[in-house]
Amino acid sequence: MFESILSKGRRLAGIGSIAAALAAAPAMAQDKEPIVFGGSIPLSGVFAFAGVHLHAGLTDYTSWINGEGGINGHPVKYVMEDTGYEVDRSVAAFKKITGSNTVPVYYGDSTGFMKTIASELNSRGTTLMSGASFATALTDNEKYPYQFIPGPSYSQMFGIILEYISSQGEGGDKPTVAFVYSDTEFGKDPIENGKAKAALMGIEVVEEIVTKPGSVDVSAEVLKLRRARPDYVVFHGYVLSPINEFMVQMRQMGLDTQFMGTFWSSDKLIINKMGADSDGYMGVMPYNYYDSAEGGPMLDALRAQAEKSDPDAGYRPTGYMQGWFNAMVWTEVIKRTMDADKELTADNMAESLASIKDWDTGGIIGIPVSVQDMSFPVGRIWRVNAKEGRYEPYRTGSTSTETLYGSLAGNR
Amino acid sequence: MDWLFFGEISLAGLAMGGLYALISLGFVIIYKATKVINFAIGEIMMFAAYLFLAFAGGMEMSPWVALPLAVLGGSVLGGVIEKVMIRPMLGESSISVVMVTIGVASILVGLVELIWGADPQLLPSFLPRKPVFIGEMYLAPKIAYGFLIGAGLLIVYLLYFRFSRGGVALRATASDQAAAYSMGINVRRVFNLSWVFGSLAASLAGVLVAATGGLSPQFGAIGLSVLVVVIVGGLDSILGALVAGLFIGWLETVAGAYLGGEYRMPATFAVLAVILVIRPYGLFGTHEIERV
Repeated sequence: MFESILSKGRRLAGIGSIAAALAAAPAMAQDKEPIVFGGSIPLSGVFAFAGVHLHAGLTDYTSWINGEGGINGHPVKYVMEDTGYEVDRSVAAFKKITGSNTVPVYYGDSTGFMKTIASELNSRGTTLMSGASFATALTDNEKYPYQFIPGPSYSQMFGIILEYISSQGEGGDKPTVAFVYSDTEFGKDPIENGKAKAALMGIEVVEEIVTKPGSVDVSAEVLKLRRARPDYVVFHGYVLSPINEFMVQMRQMGLDTQFMGTFWSSDKLIINKMGADSDGYMGVMPYNYYDSAEGGPMLDALRAQAEKSDPDAGYRPTGYMQGWFNAMVWTEVIKRTMDADKELTADNMAESLASIKDWDTGGIIGIPVSVQDMSFPVGRIWRVNAKEGRYEPYRTGSTSTETLYGSLAGNR
Repeated sequence: MDWLFFGEISLAGLAMGGLYALISLGFVIIYKATKVINFAIGEIMMFAAYLFLAFAGGMEMSPWVALPLAVLGGSVLGGVIEKVMIRPMLGESSISVVMVTIGVASILVGLVELIWGADPQLLPSFLPRKPVFIGEMYLAPKIAYGFLIGAGLLIVYLLYFRFSRGGVALRATASDQAAAYSMGINVRRVFNLSWVFGSLAASLAGVLVAATGGLSPQFGAIGLSVLVVVIVGGLDSILGALVAGLFIGWLETVAGAYLGGEYRMPATFAVLAVILVIRPYGLFGTHEIERV
């Protein structure tokens, strides 16, 4: 009992010293105006499972960049509000945060929010926004000139998956595919473009299945797939369920279908929860996984910062990587705008964003990346090795890393 | 027409409908005895499923020990909610009581997020994984065995309500509270028992549905979708819950298979609208006539 109290006391003393150090840091090292990273963050509600990790990624990046001296000497301040993943609360958070701070960059928690706030963002002309969404619609420069995607759009992810599938055909025969997606805006986003791309590549889409997201019985849908017998099933609009049920039931039926998914369907959660049943599942992912064998100065810094901020957390999910990468891009954009002696307006920052060419992300993404149509259209196929408990990059023989990344310019 | 496919789809739908019936039973038992529509039933289901996860996953108990423990835990939770939060509302308007159940649902979601976090979960596998064939028709094993377990509890309930003293007291209270009270039935105890039994049925359904489709703090929303079943069957009819549960489960699955997943809900709500027009008190519900 006494030891427990003592241990709590030590922890509190530790927290006290950190707080004191943090309070003193700006005065000691940085006397310039802070740059504010704003965020509508879903710490509760249906997207909270990712929201907590996005938040951790943004928080840790802020600590790291401040440790590096900030952005051109300006300290960075991260200001956020919990939204419960509700558009009205996200809008309220945006108004509150931008009302009391000058916010050059902002994290939006959903496609719905980013579309809703677009007209206000356009009329203000002060803030550049990115966030959790990879929605294809946001790559429309006319409508969303101040919003970008921190990776490939969902349609581009489908393109990368279909290119992989196409490459697996033998003797001129193309494999067949089925699309399984949730009955949500998120789920439906890439389907039409995916079908068009498949038709262009000569891949037959033999079945299209829509389900509710989350906890649903899918035995009837599995029966449809049993008759269609696709070589590949591509999931989109899910995190875990019902992917597991499709995989387990189809394998129980003796089908040798290969299963693939897009960004939010390719977290390690699938391995942790499904165990051996997840073996062979494939996902498209722009970033290197936290526990992958890949390295690089920024990836190493990320790992060190994650370890420093919470030594007990262990593996950090893809949401964490996404939060960190968003903040990295914001930093790069602000730095380029400042270096060009320009004001931090949305127009100037959008111009700086568009100027990103062959940017070395220090291992967060395995190849140099360029911005095209307000997105980073690169992604890589990863495959679950259930025995090792992790995703491994798909490789064939001596193929170089560069050629394994699908780069889909114009594939909207 | 592929009749084998239709048969397989129908079987899957009926099996899922059996679980809907079990959840509906949770609504109906509580409403029948206390006239309270329990909007927290889905969250009680969710809580029981998380208890199962804790017992079978975290504590590594045998699933067959964890299952009754989780179901008991869910039913005790129902009893506690009645005693602590619903009973003080006796005599208040029904809207106030419904609001309390909505508040309870919200508290349970928050509690689950605090204890187990927001990540989606899968329950440890405890049902046989060997495919089930009825003739040539395939049925997913989780659905098939889930249906059998649920049907077992339904039979126990029906026998209990028909033959036991507690069951008779519950039916008597449902029929006429004042008369039951004057005949010496402890009506308050019956109220409490109805919450315990209703929550027990919902808890078992919660574990079985979560074993099929996974679990998350938003799992309780399924309770609201089952409200359609209860309204179609009749809020105070156990037979209605059983028949409507099977029918809605079948309809939803057939609509999903032939029209597409996005038509599942419209199909069930279309039936609900028609039933409400023809029989506003549900297929088997009590038609109350108020005379001024």
